Order: sequence, then structure tokens, then C-alpha cells
Amino acid sequence: MISTIELENKVIKAGLCANCGACQELCPYWRSHQGRTLHFFDCDRENGRCLAFCPRMPLDIAALREQFFAAGSVLPELGPFLGLYLTRAADSSIRANAQHGGTMTALLTLALAEGFIDAAVLTKSQGSLDAAGVLAATEQQIRACAGSSFQIPATLAVLNRELQAGRYHKLGVVGTPCKTLAVYKMLSKPYDKDDHHVQNVAMVFGLFCGWGLDWRGLEQLAERHGDREQLRHMDILPSKYHCLELQEQQACHKVELDEVYPLVKENCRYCSDLTAEFADVSVGGARSADGWEVDKGWNQLIVRSDKGRRLLDLARAKGVLEFKELPEGNLDKLRRAALGKKRTAIANICEKTGSTADLSYLEPSRALFQDLL
Amino acid sequence: MEWMTKIDAPGKTYLMQGNEAVVRGAVEAGIHFAASYPGSPSSQILGILGNIAKERGFYAEWSANETVALEACLGASFANARSICIVKQNGLLVVGDALHCGALSGVKGGLVVVTSDDPSSHSSTNEFDSRHMAISASVPLLEPSSLQESKDIIPYAFELSEQLGQIVIVRITTRICHGRGGVKLGELPKAQRPFRHIGEWERMVCINWRHEYMLEQLDRARALAEDNPFNHYSGPAGAETLIITGGTGRLYTQEALTSLDLTGKVGVLTLASLWPLPERLLAEHLRPCKRLLVIEEVDPFIERNIAALCGKLRLDIEIAGREAGIVLPRVRELTPDVVKRAVAAFCHTTLPDARRHVEQAIELPERELTFCAGCPHRATFFLLKRALKMDELPGVVIGDIGCYTMAGQRAGQYGYHFINCMGSGVNSAEGLGQLTAYGFKQTVLTMAGDSTFFHSSLPGLVNAQYHNANMLFIILDNSATAMTGFQPHPGTGLTAMGDQVPPLSIQKIVEAIGCSVTVADPFEVEETTELVNKLLHQTGMKVLILRQPCATLAAKSAVRKKVWVDPDICRGEDCGCGKFCSRVWNCPGNSWDFEHNKAKIDEVVCVGCGVCAKLCPAGAIKVEGGEQ
Repeated sequence: MISTIELENKVIKAGLCANCGACQELCPYWRSHQGRTLHFFDCDRENGRCLAFCPRMPLDIAALREQFFAAGSVLPELGPFLGLYLTRAADSSIRANAQHGGTMTALLTLALAEGFIDAAVLTKSQGSLDAAGVLAATEQQIRACAGSSFQIPATLAVLNRELQAGRYHKLGVVGTPCKTLAVYKMLSKPYDKDDHHVQNVAMVFGLFCGWGLDWRGLEQLAERHGDREQLRHMDILPSKYHCLELQEQQACHKVELDEVYPLVKENCRYCSDLTAEFADVSVGGARSADGWEVDKGWNQLIVRSDKGRRLLDLARAKGVLEFKELPEGNLDKLRRAALGKKRTAIANICEKTGSTADLSYLEPSRALFQDLL
Repeated sequence: MEWMTKIDAPGKTYLMQGNEAVVRGAVEAGIHFAASYPGSPSSQILGILGNIAKERGFYAEWSANETVALEACLGASFANARSICIVKQNGLLVVGDALHCGALSGVKGGLVVVTSDDPSSHSSTNEFDSRHMAISASVPLLEPSSLQESKDIIPYAFELSEQLGQIVIVRITTRICHGRGGVKLGELPKAQRPFRHIGEWERMVCINWRHEYMLEQLDRARALAEDNPFNHYSGPAGAETLIITGGTGRLYTQEALTSLDLTGKVGVLTLASLWPLPERLLAEHLRPCKRLLVIEEVDPFIERNIAALCGKLRLDIEIAGREAGIVLPRVRELTPDVVKRAVAAFCHTTLPDARRHVEQAIELPERELTFCAGCPHRATFFLLKRALKMDELPGVVIGDIGCYTMAGQRAGQYGYHFINCMGSGVNSAEGLGQLTAYGFKQTVLTMAGDSTFFHSSLPGLVNAQYHNANMLFIILDNSATAMTGFQPHPGTGLTAMGDQVPPLSIQKIVEAIGCSVTVADPFEVEETTELVNKLLHQTGMKVLILRQPCATLAAKSAVRKKVWVDPDICRGEDCGCGKFCSRVWNCPGNSWDFEHNKAKIDEVVCVGCGVCAKLCPAGAIKVEGGEQ
């Protein structure tokens, strides 16, 4: 089948497309607009790179882990795992603009300064709206990307464009689980006639993610509850608060999650990854017994690879990150949350396929989910 | 050729095209006034008339539309001027009201409407038969059946028009318009006939008390048809097997009879007076007839009227023709072969040995109509497709008439959902656009070329603006009436007679109507795609002018940028391209090097617009003076 038609049928029409952007900027056929992946014209090839890179085409998670991560490091709920930390940026000016503790921004600026990466592909938004993938090659450009985004732009389109342009040879990529997974799919060189220069990706930074929201629906929600122009951040509070917070310059609006749930992108229902398991390090919001008022200024961070470990050690040594002792039970709590997402995803997939015998794109990874069926 | 239409050489024979023969006929008739709106296959007629008008001392114009043209002719007729109006089949339908009203008021100076039908719709969206309009309007209808008659019938039509005080329609078809044949010239008028003073009680008014008089005119026309010198009969007297034909059918029938060795054995009556019919002449040939074949272009017009006449005469004749579609096809144009087969079947004989025919050696590849290399419409419809696909529920595209009608095919990415007649786009879009207030969820866009804009979009635009329809109206301003051959229109600053005049600004007109207007360049594909999508989502009536000159104008310009493909960069058929330029963008200038499996530019065809270079995913297409 022609690649554009196959991807359209198997991923987009099937409601699986995450709009990660992995299929884009490779050819003139795929584009993204307002969180949706679309093709303008049909290609005439079968088995193109778009199919090979797509994180929602059949996926063998175990094989991919084996290829890139140390044997024995895998926790079933969290994926490759070398340690969990509570951190925040030491620089308060980073924290001021960050969603939580500014760990990601601080780590990236360090990675850039220390030559771990020579530029980064990441997502930029205006008060969590109008999200877009961007390339950041300076500390200033990285800092400008601090903050949250619940719209899911096709950030990997920027990666593909940059890999092709060949300006950078140690690219960092920051993304939600669907995006970082796609980067590892690219790294596995699934396309036989490869001229994708993916070896120029040096580090992958994952972001914890519960779900993304409908592009236009979120805009309308923001307009309904506050002043879109004044919006600075959005955040999902810990589950007991059951709300989405819209933070403006002067005000803060709380939106009941019941109003937000219908905006959850369909593909997120079928995603089994909370903590961006494919990455060198993954960062999310902190959860601890200190309560939200404290936690919201901190992150939790998972180190997954040696390179991630080296960067974190350097961040500690240079005082770029501040560390807080990890309360007992935090790892278990995170593992339970991650397992919960997997359980929900598998249930949703089975509901969609109508059978526990068909796990859709996760079918090649069936063994990992056997216990959840 | 133009000189043949004005040379004073009576009795001499020249090889002429049908359109030229009509011009010559008009010149010999001493016309004072000529008006037309371009329409294939007869666009040439006014083009030539315009070129020779000053020398021959008459006025000629490309009118904004056909109604304007006919009504202008009616005005000129009031002063006893001989005026000729040239239209195509759709044009005659456009002038319907003016024609009927003009017929009711009658004319003073001769007024001849030449209507050219396009059987098989070679350059139309349809093959309407304009002859029906003659019956409806109660005016005489003539049709020449040779190139010579295409000239001769024009002065005859003017004489008839003045004799009756009525409009006369002359119908021609594509093969007459574009066919060539020997035409023996007649005399040119020595001096223009003077105009007449229009007195206080002189009238040309469309008023119903003239209805009876109009029918009496038609009765007189019926009587005069008996002596029409362009009706011909050949064959045995009292033929039981008869063919009645008109237009192209006459020569096709002659050829068929010759090759079937039937000449002289079958009666052939060629009619030039198609309405009203010469009933006495027909009765004379129909009475002895047992079997009748009627051969004519498009509809069974003659056939039905003769069937009616047979009923009136209580004649029992077996009639074959286009109505039943048995010996002749019901649709599409006649060809000598089609007629030959029909005559053979009708006469129960077999076609001559196939070996005597030259067999076609090669199957010709089927080629769709497409836009020229560098045509702005290609870019426009390419970007429209993208702008629409950006929406989850893509909008509806209403087309219109012009070169861009071809966008319904691959050339325009199958670019529209709906098309009706010329100038209808803005109206149909208005209708659909109003429904958005009642739950219709898709965006609506339509378009018109600059010539169509002046032709018939203006009232619709006023209407859509006044009612604030939820729609986007795109004016494809290529500064040309390109489809029919670059006839001037009110936006071009040129007239049919070659005078330079101040051009009308489409933008100013649209702004004066009060529309919100944006101007953009279709060659800036990325920006304009975003712009179109943005405009589609603004509520109310929006106008976008996409400005880029017709590629044929660009091709004529002295400086053409050289465009070439760097084969080392070109991805060819690989993933990441898949022959995007020649397969999807599909400009005739984007060709393929089959030896190396790489793209190439056909330098003969390419006009150097450089849009493919902007779109090439590998950046392999280079433009002279551009980034290397």
C-alpha cells in the first residue's frame, strides 16, 4: 500500500496519531496543522520513512529497549531506570518561568554549555497555547521554551528538518513519550536506505505526560474561562484537586477536569507511557508528602542512561540543579501511576479493537502487557 | 488571414477558415457595428473584425458579456446600422432575455447573431444546441453547409433581417469555424450606408402588443425560406430514401455517399433555413419518401420539426436520426466516419473494405487538458487543496468558467466540487454560504477569473456582499482572457480596435462595493496557503485577489529565467520525493530523465516561474539568479 494511504488508514483514521511529527519534513506529503497530521497529496511509494518512524505503527518495545539501554535496568512500569530524583533549577530566574522546578531548562542549558548537545529541538508555547516545535541553539532560546504545552505540536518535524539541513551534529530532543519513542525508532534505523542522519541526535529528554488536549478545544476553553492574551501557564494539579489551572498575570482560574476530559486527544487514550520511557533522562512534576504548594516548585527526574547520569552528576557538581531527598514511597507511587496509565491504555485499546487478542500497535509488545489483560 | 477578409478582389477564390469567411461576409454586408464576448470556437471573428474595423470604417468591441454585446447591437440597429453579434452556444443562452425582447421589438438596421456551437465540447463544458433559441424567440435561423456559404449566408442574413425587421440567427459549429475551404469573394460595399435620423415617434420597444406582429414576421420568414438559395437538393426526383441534413452534415453525407457508391441513388436535401422550415419544399420531398435519415450536429432539432411536419402532413415515414440514437449517436459531434456508418446502416449496405483505410499505427496516449507551464492557476489550486485540507472538515469549492475550469482535473488537483455556468460561482457560493448560519458546517469558497469577473460576477458580488454571505471569493487575476486567446477585457487597458484606454481596477471595484479585500501572490505557495485558510475562517464575505500574470504572457516576455535540476541533489523516486515535481505538481515544464531516473526541466516548455524550485523537497531545482 502507498505509504500515505497506509499511515492514513492505520494510524490517523484509527485515532492513534499523536501528531509527533516523525513523519513530517521528510517529504512534501505530510504536514501538521493545529495538532493534526494530514497529508496534502498522495505519495507513490510503499514502506516509506513515515511508516518506519511512526511511534503508532506496530512496535516491539522490548527489542527497542534492548538495543539502547543497559540490560537489567528496566522497571516494568517505568522502563529503563537508573534512579529517581527530586530536583529544581538552582537559578531562580529559570524557575520563575518554568511550569514546575525548571529542571528541564536548566539541564538543557547545561547540556548545551558542556557540549553534550550543540542545539535542541523542543516545544515553545505562548502561555501553553500556540505551541510549536522550535530549534534552540543558545541558552536564551532554550530558556524561551520554558513552560508547559498541552497542545501537541509536531515538534519532530523540526528535528527531521534539522537532520536534513545538517547544521548540527549533537542535537538534543525534548518531547513527550510519543515523541521520544519516535526518536528511538529513528535511531534504530528501521529504513533500509537511510539518509536521515539520525546519528546527529546526541541526547533525548523525555517529559512525563498524562495526555494532550485538542488544539482548538483548548483555545476555546482558555477563552471561555479567562483572558487568552494574559495566559502564562496551564497546569494539571494533583488528582485530589481534580482541576486544570489557568494562570494569568493577575488571576488564576481553575477548570474542573470534567470539562477538560472531552478535549483529551483520542490517541492519548491508547498511550501506555507516562514517564517517557525512551530517553536519557525524563522529567515531570514532583509529587511528595510536602503537598502541592511545595511540590509545584520541584520536578521528579528519572535517569535512564549513562549519558543521562553523567549530565545529572555534572548538574549536581556545578550546582545547576538543587536536589531534595526523595521521600520514601515516592518511587512506588510513581510506579503505580505509570502502571495505571498502562492499564488504562490496554483497556482502551482492547475496547477499540473489540478483543484482547488484538493490541493494535502494541501487539508486538504483547508480552510486556500480558499481566494487564 | 486578416487581409483576405478586406481585400477588394471580387470573384477571386481564397483558402479561408470558416471564422474568416464569416468576417468577410460581414464586411461584404457593410456592417456598421460588431460586438462579441470571446467564446470558442468563434472567438476569432471579432478579433479580426476589431483589427480591420478602423480601415473599413465600422465599430467593433469586445463587450463585457454577451448580453451587453447584443443589446449594444440592438441600440446600433435603431439608427439603421447593420450590426453583428457573435456568441458561442452558452453566450446565446446568456442573451436569452435580450434576444426575446429584441425579437418582440424587432429591428431597424439588419441585426445578425452568429452563434457557434461546440459539439463534443472541445472548448466548453457542454455541447448545448443553440438552435432551440430561434424557436423560443420566434426568429429565423440559418445554417451554412460549406465554407463558401459561411461567407455568403451573412449578407443574405442581413437582407433577410431587414426585409423582416427581425433579428436573424446564423448557427455555425466548430468544424465550420475552424475548417478551411475555398471561398470566392464577393464585392465590398463602395460606401457605408448612412444612418437614419431617429424621429420623435420612432419606436423600438419590447411590448406585448407586437406579439401577433412578431408571429406574422415569422410567417413571412417561412414563405421566404422556400426560396433560400442555400437550401439544396441532389439525387433522384421523388426519392423514396431521403437524407435531410444541415451544417457539417452536408459534406459528410456527400463523402459517405461517394465512398458507399450511393451518389445519385439517394435523395439529399440540405437545409439552410432551419427555422422556420420551408414547409412546401419539404412536403415536396417528404411525400414520395418512405424512409428518412436526418443528419445534424447535436440535438435532433431538424428531425423533431420534420417529424412534426410529417404529422401535420399525415405522412407515414420511417425516420432515423439522432433522436433514437440507433444509426447516429445521441451525443457528441459528427465525423465523416460516424456519418458514413450511419448512411451505410440506413441504406442497408456495408462499409467499403477496411483495407482501403489507413490503419492508425500507434495508439496515441490519452492526455488530459492541463494548465500551461508556469500557469498561476496550477499554483492556486495546489495551494487551495492544501488550505482546505488543513481543516478537519474541509470546505467546499465552487468553480467557475475559464481556464481554471480545468482545475476539476488533475491539473488543478481535482480542485472543485461544483461548477455551473459562467459567473455562477459567486452566486452558488452565496447560497451555500448562507446555510452556515443554519447549521451547515463547511467553509465555502469560489473563484472567478478577471474576465469572468467583468462578464458576470459583479451582480453576484454585490448580492453576496449585501447579504454578507459566509464565503471567500477568490479573483484569479491573470490580466488576461486567456482561454480564448487574450482578447482584451475592461481590466486590460486595450480595446478590440487596438486603442489604449484606462484599465479598470478590479481591486477598486471590489473595494467600492464594500468588500474586505486581500491581495496575494499564488506563487508564494506557503504564505498564500496559510492566508487562504485564515480567510476561510473569518466570518462574512471575504474577497481575495490572487494576482499573477498569465504564463502565456510570461512566456512571451524577453527575459526567461533558466531553471534546471541538479541531479546530484534530486531524490528522484526515493522516499522523500517520489517524483513530486512531475507527478504531483505536474507542470509540463517538469519532465523526467528516464535514463538516470531524475527530474529534469523541459527547457522548451519552462517559462521560468520558479515555483517548482520553491516546492522541490530536496532543493534540487535551481533558478538562474537564485540561491545556488
